[in-house]
Amino acid sequence: MQRLVHIKDVCKVYPRVHKPSERLRAFVALLLGREPGDGVEVLRDINFDVFQGASVGIVGENGAGKSTLLKVLTGVIEPTKGSVTTKGNIAAMLELGAGFQPDFSGLDNVRMKASLLGLSKAELEERMDDILKFADIGEYINQPVKHYSSGMVVRLGFAVITACRPDLLITDEVLAVGDESFQKKCIRWIEEYMKQGGTLLLVSHSMYVVQKLCKKAVWIHEGKIRKFGDVYPVTQAYLAWHERRRAVEKELIVNATGDAAYYRIEHFALAGEQHQESPEAEFDDDPSHEFQMGDDIEVELRIISPDGRAPVGLVGVVRADGTPVYGVASDHEHVKPVKIGDSLYRFRYRLDNIQLLPGSYNLRSHSMDPEGLRLFDSHEFPFTVSGNTKELGYIRLPHQWLE
Amino acid sequence: MNKAGHKKMDRVFFQNMVVRQIRQDYLENITGFAWLILQPLILLAVYAFVFSTIFKARIPEAAEIGFVPYLAIAFWPWTAFSEAVLRANSSITANADLIGKVAFASEQIPLASVTATFIMHMIGYLSVLIVLQIMGTHIHWLFLLAVVPLMVLLWVFACSIALFTSATQVFIRDIAQILPPVMTLWFFTTPILYSSSLLPESIQSIAHWNIMAWFVEKLRELLLFGDLNVGLSSLVIIPFIFVFAWLSLKYFRRFSPHFEDFM
Repeated sequence: MQRLVHIKDVCKVYPRVHKPSERLRAFVALLLGREPGDGVEVLRDINFDVFQGASVGIVGENGAGKSTLLKVLTGVIEPTKGSVTTKGNIAAMLELGAGFQPDFSGLDNVRMKASLLGLSKAELEERMDDILKFADIGEYINQPVKHYSSGMVVRLGFAVITACRPDLLITDEVLAVGDESFQKKCIRWIEEYMKQGGTLLLVSHSMYVVQKLCKKAVWIHEGKIRKFGDVYPVTQAYLAWHERRRAVEKELIVNATGDAAYYRIEHFALAGEQHQESPEAEFDDDPSHEFQMGDDIEVELRIISPDGRAPVGLVGVVRADGTPVYGVASDHEHVKPVKIGDSLYRFRYRLDNIQLLPGSYNLRSHSMDPEGLRLFDSHEFPFTVSGNTKELGYIRLPHQWLE
Repeated sequence: MNKAGHKKMDRVFFQNMVVRQIRQDYLENITGFAWLILQPLILLAVYAFVFSTIFKARIPEAAEIGFVPYLAIAFWPWTAFSEAVLRANSSITANADLIGKVAFASEQIPLASVTATFIMHMIGYLSVLIVLQIMGTHIHWLFLLAVVPLMVLLWVFACSIALFTSATQVFIRDIAQILPPVMTLWFFTTPILYSSSLLPESIQSIAHWNIMAWFVEKLRELLLFGDLNVGLSSLVIIPFIFVFAWLSLKYFRRFSPHFEDFM
């Protein structure tokens, strides 16, 4: 299979350019053939290849370096270190209305853009009708682009790309601007293009779009490739990380009790594991605990009871962003802990055949007073559930399709 | 395999750029095209009035032809050159959106800007020559065959300077302030309003190496006097212009991959 893009050890540093003196220094450095000086590192040690026929989604939070990566890849900017080699005809839609001149009519801009994409005049004339039909903006084509809505700009931009049938198509979050029917039209076109052996590189914040159009995904985090592989594990890991991060503030408040609690959680461990999760590690970005749907999760919880009475344990599962999924207290089900020391009690429980949908969750445990009225201590155990499913929601309910 | 960064120039794209530049600079406003002829015409009238009527400047070579044709022949090419350099200087920063979003050989931007200005001013120059002929000046039309390559050379020279200044302008914004007075100084040190024979001997030998003076004098020799005299200086200046052009492109390409970072 042909390799269209080869990115090797790419780093990109944006030099500091705010003060005139900084610009002057960079100018002199470049004149002497040196690097323009230090600045903000936005990409670090990026290595990846794109082969013909591949469809790769690029995901990551804002500012992670996705757009810079695309710019380096298309040659709009030079990498500071490393090399980028490309092959074939690349069409990129990096930003809304990229390369459009607002004062000129849509038609003039189509000509300009088409020449940038390497279309000859004859080819353009031949395909003009198709372009206009795809854009479907009617009489506006003769109006200056500055009077266009953002949706119309995208329609026009994408329409030109459809006409040049690139070997590699790169889009950066632009499809999201179009209306529903245009988005569907684009997705249909991309699917058709992929069927004919096209190659796609797509940046999107919509995991739905990424999962629908891409077979593989790259998760860029703080300028580095965090995860690269099949689209489902990568997008799920990214979403999980995202939810976890959002939940951090909330969780810190819940955890205010800790050591000072009277009925304190002294130990928490997965069955078969000895170490105790330290509270600091709770929000570890990349939880090592990964379960498949249908696995069992068995844990042991030890609670210190200074007055020697048997405490109540409350356990449950919450989504990483804090949304409760299921919870139950030991006294609801008349379960008593086992006394294993002077003032130490032990609960063991198992979640059988977990039917949580892929995503990121916390196993939350609380210690309560023997009356089951006051909550004293909390413990969070983050884990992810993975699996290949397109079901929606948090949990799989037993169901069947009837005739 | 093509390495990103080494982008080819594209003929269709370049044509589009030139047309776009012409429309933007000259045809978008109603007076645009008329202004193109009017502005140098007014300046010409002002200079003619000040120098021939008030100062009673006597130029030995112009005695026969008259001051106005003598000035006009040199003035239009100078205007084309000077305007091309000044307009092209800010062309990179003016097209920042294009540079930041599309990969293409960015030297095409200043080159298209210079080309657009030249095309428009050459139309103006041709109409001025026709007007001069009608007004009774004898123009040596046959020597237009030599004037055309001379104008191409002037275009090459303007392009080279534009490549230097526009690339530098991205980093050092002061160029936009420095350039207009420099061009004015250059205008007055070039024998456009006067003849180089009026300069003191000591300065003449230096002034001789002013490339614009060479252009202006060649134009007058060809069109007004019908004199095809290559001269020793041509043998130095013509190769120099090409070396300078090559250097300016090297210079531009050293900086162009970094433009996006400094916009």
